Amino acid sequence: MLITEKIDDHMARLSLDGRFDFHSHRDFRSAYDAVLARPEIHQIAIDFGRVDYLDSSALGMLLLLREKAEAGNKKVKLTNLTGSVKQVLEIANFGKLFTIE
Amino acid sequence: MGTVTKPLTILVVDDTPADVAQLEAVARQLGHAVIVAGDGIEAIEKYRSASPDLIFMDILMPGLDGIEAARQVRALPCDRWVPIVFFAAPDSMAGILRGLEAGGDDYLVKPADLQVIRAKIKAYARALTLQDESRRYARELAAWRDDAEEQSQLGQYIIGRLLDSAGLRDPMVQWLNTPAQSFSGDLVCASRGPGDILYLMLADAAGHGLSAALTALPLTQVFHGMVAKGFPIHTIAEELNGKLKAFLPIDRFVAASLVALDTRNQTIEIWNGGNPDVLFINDQGEVAMRWPSRHPPLGILPPALFSGATEVVSYQHPGEMVLFSDGIIEAENPDGQRLNMHGLEALLAQAPSGERLPAIEAGVARQLAGRREHDDLSAIVVKVPIERRQTVRSSQAASAPDRHVSEWRMELSWGPEELRSMDVVPALLGFMGQIKGLQTHQGQLFLILAELFNNALDHGVLGLDSRTKSLDGGFERYLEEREGHLNELRDGRIDMAFHRHLLDGRTVLDIRIKDSGVGFDWSAFLDSSNDDQGLYQTHGRGIRLVRNLCQELSYGDNGSAVFARYAL
Repeated sequence: MLITEKIDDHMARLSLDGRFDFHSHRDFRSAYDAVLARPEIHQIAIDFGRVDYLDSSALGMLLLLREKAEAGNKKVKLTNLTGSVKQVLEIANFGKLFTIE
Repeated sequence: MGTVTKPLTILVVDDTPADVAQLEAVARQLGHAVIVAGDGIEAIEKYRSASPDLIFMDILMPGLDGIEAARQVRALPCDRWVPIVFFAAPDSMAGILRGLEAGGDDYLVKPADLQVIRAKIKAYARALTLQDESRRYARELAAWRDDAEEQSQLGQYIIGRLLDSAGLRDPMVQWLNTPAQSFSGDLVCASRGPGDILYLMLADAAGHGLSAALTALPLTQVFHGMVAKGFPIHTIAEELNGKLKAFLPIDRFVAASLVALDTRNQTIEIWNGGNPDVLFINDQGEVAMRWPSRHPPLGILPPALFSGATEVVSYQHPGEMVLFSDGIIEAENPDGQRLNMHGLEALLAQAPSGERLPAIEAGVARQLAGRREHDDLSAIVVKVPIERRQTVRSSQAASAPDRHVSEWRMELSWGPEELRSMDVVPALLGFMGQIKGLQTHQGQLFLILAELFNNALDHGVLGLDSRTKSLDGGFERYLEEREGHLNELRDGRIDMAFHRHLLDGRTVLDIRIKDSGVGFDWSAFLDSSNDDQGLYQTHGRGIRLVRNLCQELSYGDNGSAVFARYAL
């Protein structure tokens, strides 16, 4: 999975591209750790527009991000959900845990 | 190369003392030990007794020559590579080839240059040191594998025992659970609660293999323990979530669906957090009802934010309930096409009732086309009958009346706070289960207490009219009203008294329940002439069942007080 980072004022956008699964663990964590470390960032948007697959360990990584972001008083939102990615997040009712756009 | 090489034991086989001395000098200078043999026979003896690491062998020797000696050395059993380097005359290409074919590895042309001998010995020392290391790794790996294999077998045995339960052999229940690896992170549980209610749980822990199996494991004991005591599934879900939240790291969770199937009252209650839709398939093979996931999986939300809210429906027609994990609908064919919900529903529609689990199994196998499943696969199919049964399945206690039983009394009074937030009947039953002589009556006592207590609460304290239930969609409305009234309950009280004593030589348990309501029309429920009328057929059944179970059942105070005498 490829991750692109884009910063606009107080918002960081991490755009994911490819399969978001167990193997993305290291890359995803270093990407969010980098933006969580920046005090000026208040909100992190995860862009799923180019993700074609999402498994349960990816959901676990999102929960870890949520936990760390909350500890740093930052908000996480999930954006551009389509197809099977949207379905997986809906079944897991992640709308009750994250802001979804 | 900077690696430290190990000191070798080198066997030098040569009948020319000058050549031996030359090689020996170089080898000792490099820190290696040397043993010498004068011919082939002696070479084999020394090889056996001293197990050298490297052999330098002259081809031409009296008696047994080097080539034959090499052949015999190679014929001996050996678990490592011992290189053989031949000394050959410069014009003896045929000899060199025969030597290599007999098991030799290399050759030096006589007279050998000292530099070349030194370089050869160093090169072999490096190669043999690497051989030693890789042999050590191989041994370690084998030990690891044996250890892992042993742990895996023990784990599978223990988990198998923990997961097995009588409920999985219930004639109404069919199930499958196929792991992607040796352990399944999916969990399939079935158990009968008191009152013959069938409870089901299908859980799917994030990931697969042993880590997922461990994640899901705490659920089974809690599930079976609480079902046995008759707790409602919202309480079970809350308890399971709390346990997992306490045990699991942040990124681990368990999707689960919980079902309570009450065939006596024809109701289905469901909690689904993170699993695919639970389906109800009618006898025509159509999806008559579906319950999508309404909650995040277990183990994510802290208890304060967790919701055990269930959906309850009453059903009027028989069919089958189908629960399954996402592995089933995500099974991919070689083109990457998934089975999907659509494909699964088509499988269910084509199979007759009773054949649907094998149909799912066969359909998934076709989809995978011989490839390994990438996720754990599990499913439960439960027969949902329509039965007008008035009797209780649980067997009557067979024990002879105990004449030495002690007399005891217990009185309890529940206020609005307890009525709102406690599962009174399971709590009572848990307590009574500790009393000698009552254990075997738990099923019957649950039915009696649940019916009488719920009547007191619903019709007495909350003032609900059970006639609502018989209207179209009335059952759901009734439950909504009940929840609303219960949440707003500010006063009201239910008193319960229990008295165990001897009566005419028999031990009996007297149960008195008094509520603060104005009473309700109990007589219509007990009047057997109403048996054919729909309303009383559905809603009087409970009271009439209690009357059948008890020696005596009588209402007083317009229905706000009830007395039941149960023979132990």
